[in-house]
Amino acid sequence: MQTDLLCALIPLFPLIGFIINGFGFRRIPKSLAGAIATVAVLASFLTSCFLFGAFLGNANLTSTAGPLKAVLFDWISVGDLDISFSFQIDQLSLLMLLVVTGVGSLIHLYSIGYMKHDEGFGKFMAFLNLFVFFMLLLVMGSNYVIMFIGWEGVGLCSYLLIGFWNTNTNYNNAARKAFVMNRIGDLGFLLGIFWIINLFGTTEYTDVFKQATSLAIGDPEILAITLLLFVGAMGKSAQIPLYTWLPDAMAGPTPVSALIHAATMVTAGIYMVVRSNVLYTLSPLTLEIIGGIAIATALLAASIGLLQNDIKKVLAYSTVSQLGYMFLGLSVTAYTAGMFHVITHAFFKALLFLGAGSVIHAMSDEQDIRNMGGLRKSLPVTFITFLIGTIAISGLPPFAGFFSKDEILAHVFEHNKVLWALGVLGSALTSFYMFRLLFLTFFGEFRGTEEQRHHLHESPATMTAPLVFLAILSAAGGVLNLPGGGWLSDFMAPLFEGSRQVNPEAFAESTIDHSTEYILMAVSAGVALISGIIAYVMYVSRGAVPAPETTERSMPEQVVYNKYYVDEFYEAIIVRPIRGLGDALYSFGEFIIDGVVNGVAWLVRAGSNQLRLLQNGSIGFYVFAMVLSIVAIIALRFFVRF
Amino acid sequence: MFPIVLLSVFGILLLFLGFLKSRAILLPAALLFLLVSLAVNFIDWNKTYLYFNGMLLSDNLSMVFTAIVLGSAFMVVALSGSFMEDESAQPAEYYGILLFSLVGALMMIGFENLIMLFVGVEILSVAMYVLTGSDKRNLRSNEAALKYFLMGAFTTGIMLFGMALLYGATGSFTLGGIRAYAVNPQVGLSLLFYVGLLMLLIGLLFKVSAAPFHFWTPDVYDGAPTLFTAFMSTVVKTAGFAALFRLLSISFSGVYTFWWTILAIITTLTLVAGNITAVYQNSFKRMMAYSSISHAGYLLIGLAALGQQTKQAIVFYSLAYSVATIAAFGVLLLVARQRNAETITSGGSSSESFDAFNGLARQNPLLGFAMAVSMLSLAGIPLTAGFWGKFYMFSTAVERGQIWLLVVAVLMSAVGIYYYFRVIIAMYFREGATAPIRVAPFYRYVLVVATLLTIGLGIAPGLLEGLF
Repeated sequence: MQTDLLCALIPLFPLIGFIINGFGFRRIPKSLAGAIATVAVLASFLTSCFLFGAFLGNANLTSTAGPLKAVLFDWISVGDLDISFSFQIDQLSLLMLLVVTGVGSLIHLYSIGYMKHDEGFGKFMAFLNLFVFFMLLLVMGSNYVIMFIGWEGVGLCSYLLIGFWNTNTNYNNAARKAFVMNRIGDLGFLLGIFWIINLFGTTEYTDVFKQATSLAIGDPEILAITLLLFVGAMGKSAQIPLYTWLPDAMAGPTPVSALIHAATMVTAGIYMVVRSNVLYTLSPLTLEIIGGIAIATALLAASIGLLQNDIKKVLAYSTVSQLGYMFLGLSVTAYTAGMFHVITHAFFKALLFLGAGSVIHAMSDEQDIRNMGGLRKSLPVTFITFLIGTIAISGLPPFAGFFSKDEILAHVFEHNKVLWALGVLGSALTSFYMFRLLFLTFFGEFRGTEEQRHHLHESPATMTAPLVFLAILSAAGGVLNLPGGGWLSDFMAPLFEGSRQVNPEAFAESTIDHSTEYILMAVSAGVALISGIIAYVMYVSRGAVPAPETTERSMPEQVVYNKYYVDEFYEAIIVRPIRGLGDALYSFGEFIIDGVVNGVAWLVRAGSNQLRLLQNGSIGFYVFAMVLSIVAIIALRFFVRF
Repeated sequence: MFPIVLLSVFGILLLFLGFLKSRAILLPAALLFLLVSLAVNFIDWNKTYLYFNGMLLSDNLSMVFTAIVLGSAFMVVALSGSFMEDESAQPAEYYGILLFSLVGALMMIGFENLIMLFVGVEILSVAMYVLTGSDKRNLRSNEAALKYFLMGAFTTGIMLFGMALLYGATGSFTLGGIRAYAVNPQVGLSLLFYVGLLMLLIGLLFKVSAAPFHFWTPDVYDGAPTLFTAFMSTVVKTAGFAALFRLLSISFSGVYTFWWTILAIITTLTLVAGNITAVYQNSFKRMMAYSSISHAGYLLIGLAALGQQTKQAIVFYSLAYSVATIAAFGVLLLVARQRNAETITSGGSSSESFDAFNGLARQNPLLGFAMAVSMLSLAGIPLTAGFWGKFYMFSTAVERGQIWLLVVAVLMSAVGIYYYFRVIIAMYFREGATAPIRVAPFYRYVLVVATLLTIGLGIAPGLLEGLF
């Protein structure tokens, strides 16, 4: 079938790009390598667009008929379990496809300019392509196992790219930290998959969800499965307690931060929950736990963001916090709102990271905002696009972030007023630290060295073009789902048929009237605006600059500045005991294990030495042995009873 | 059926081509003949026919086995370029005999009648005796041929004895006739039947080198020219197992309880003898001989636990094992030739030892990789075809509940890792002064195809399912 081919092509393009660049990066000139990688992702994007158009055009598919499936081949079949290598095309995977390949193409284009002077350019492009390939597997797979392949693959690429500048030990440690923390989450995810196989006998989404609709709400097995899956999401989407790797992941080149650690990979957890929405709707307790973790993550990360001075670290904590908002939306079964925020966040966070990259590029790899300031004159395009991104993330109308965040908060309000108030507080913090970042970077006087001032320049067109595109998307992305029944809600509605069936209450029509809704909007926008103004007063009118590293801080400030000592806490209660255990086992356990292993090996060799003597080369002996064996066999069979 | 006729004609043709002055045409001709035979093999696909008055059966299973055998033969012949450079070699005769021996192998795959089985086994065996001794000036080759012949003749006697007893008991040579007798005895099964069954089985087990009838294998595999060792350990083994499977699943499945314990004991002995003895070997070629014994053991598991999955397991295992073995011998051929050229003055015979592979991967990454993949596959490491082969085999034992057999097999495959990895360690971690080895393009394709097939089947074993 034609769509089968199209589906196969989408991940194939980046894979081909990876193979070409991955094997030939020593020989392929930089310009060609960049073009190959970018075109590969762009081709996937165009194919996805085509598929999307075909999907929209086909009325049958957009209504209630099942999703489109493309089975490439039967992959594993063991006993009753059949796992096919197949893709599922439905509303959710199409949205993710468009985001991943669309934003991905822009970031590839940007990387051509950003990484131009790097020695490992070809290798970098190859890794980016490989990442896109795995990400596409993750979102296109039609069962949990394919998703898991993609899940592991993007984790691998994230590791490779965080530690891309691998001569720096700190960067390698950051890469390792990300990998290990993700492994903890992956273990949960894997156990969840096993449990799904055990309960449903299949991993195919359509079959699992069909069977799940007949279960009762609050089923304990579903509770366990959803919690285990959510552990996986915690790792990948950086929620408490597995979030500390994401800020450290900023060691990677900035395009990587934009693509992997903001726009796509870290939203895999949200994708997975939305994908499994039937299971999660069946387990209200899991949803409440998610809600608690989400709001805690959102506030904690936002508060850390207030005092960070590294331009990328601020954005990283902001990402953690925004991911918290997405999960917050999911926790009140506002799956569409969560996905909507994934999409808008992909636009504006990619924009902000790329803008930060442009600044870092201009400042000759300076990342400390205390040494920036007044850059709006020298970097006009970057400044305007960064401003748009900041407004969008702060939730000021009419930019994209306002609509998506507002939709989440409206649903939360309906569900739980306290959560809503905390959410608005987080929104105020977000607005403050983002405007603080904007003002410190682009306003006031330049605080860097003479050499840096001399070198200041606007980035090349390959870098500014993606910024402009993303700025337009960040500004206008809100039209996807305007309040009061937007396009996205209608489009995604078929995905939640199963959930609606198992728990109609959670999907009941909104009970709040329009006036309340407008008041809520006004409150959140107003709070964001006030925070922004406070930031303006502090950092522009008064021209305050954060204190350097050495100054004494008050106690609470000290705690926040040091990220609540979470890393130190983990070091003390997890890393050190494990290392101690390892040392202990190493000192005496090794002796025993070595003894056993070597002993077995010695036994086998000794046996071998004896057995080989049988092979003495004498044909007389061989024939004699054969006759003896024949006699033994016949005797055994007829004279011994067994 | 078509391949049998064609191969007979092609074999005669090749002998005539040998009269030509130039040898250059022989190899392409042999390859072409094999390809044509492979292609016509599939003419009867999805149809079941009896040929030659009900002597031979052609169904999808026999065609799949035929394809594996002919494909292996094609790859082995493709690696035989060195004959063209060897003055004393007689390539036309080698190729002719190879094609004739394949006729025997195909008869063993499709036989419907014990006479046909006997004729097939003898055609194949006699051809192998000759090829084993084809390196006429080499004493070891001569000795091996003589040993093989003496023991083979001895076993032929036993096998024929078994057939005669079976005929005496059942009054029939056909598989169906024997089955009918075994399933539905008039007065209970006669003793002649049981003894005949065991002797026939022993005869075939000798051909696939199961312990304790394996003693010829190391000496013969070691002494024969490497190329023919590759042929023997793939084609002969696959044909032997196809014949055993046919015999046991059709004629004797009714008396499973009688023979399965014997077969299980033989399986255990084979696994232990093959794997444990391989550990001590210093010659790679001799190690491969023991490895081939151990793989016969793994294949026997499927027969001792005869069931629904056995067919698929044996087909998959034969294919995985053949491909990996051919790649390993292919690399060995090149390395040994290079080492011989280097040590021609010192006259050392270490050209086939593990040390010959020291540092191979650094100078010859392709050879190193092909060898590593085939060793991993033989050891049964995941993501290679060998892993799934073992997996299918072991699951047949699980299906039958023969857990103790499974335990032995798993322990022995752990031992297998020891000697297979010695090669990988030698290639990748030892220092050695290997000059780059020139690999002819066609030779390279064969190695690449074998490697890709091993990895491909390892990643997507389902590709082969539903083929038959």
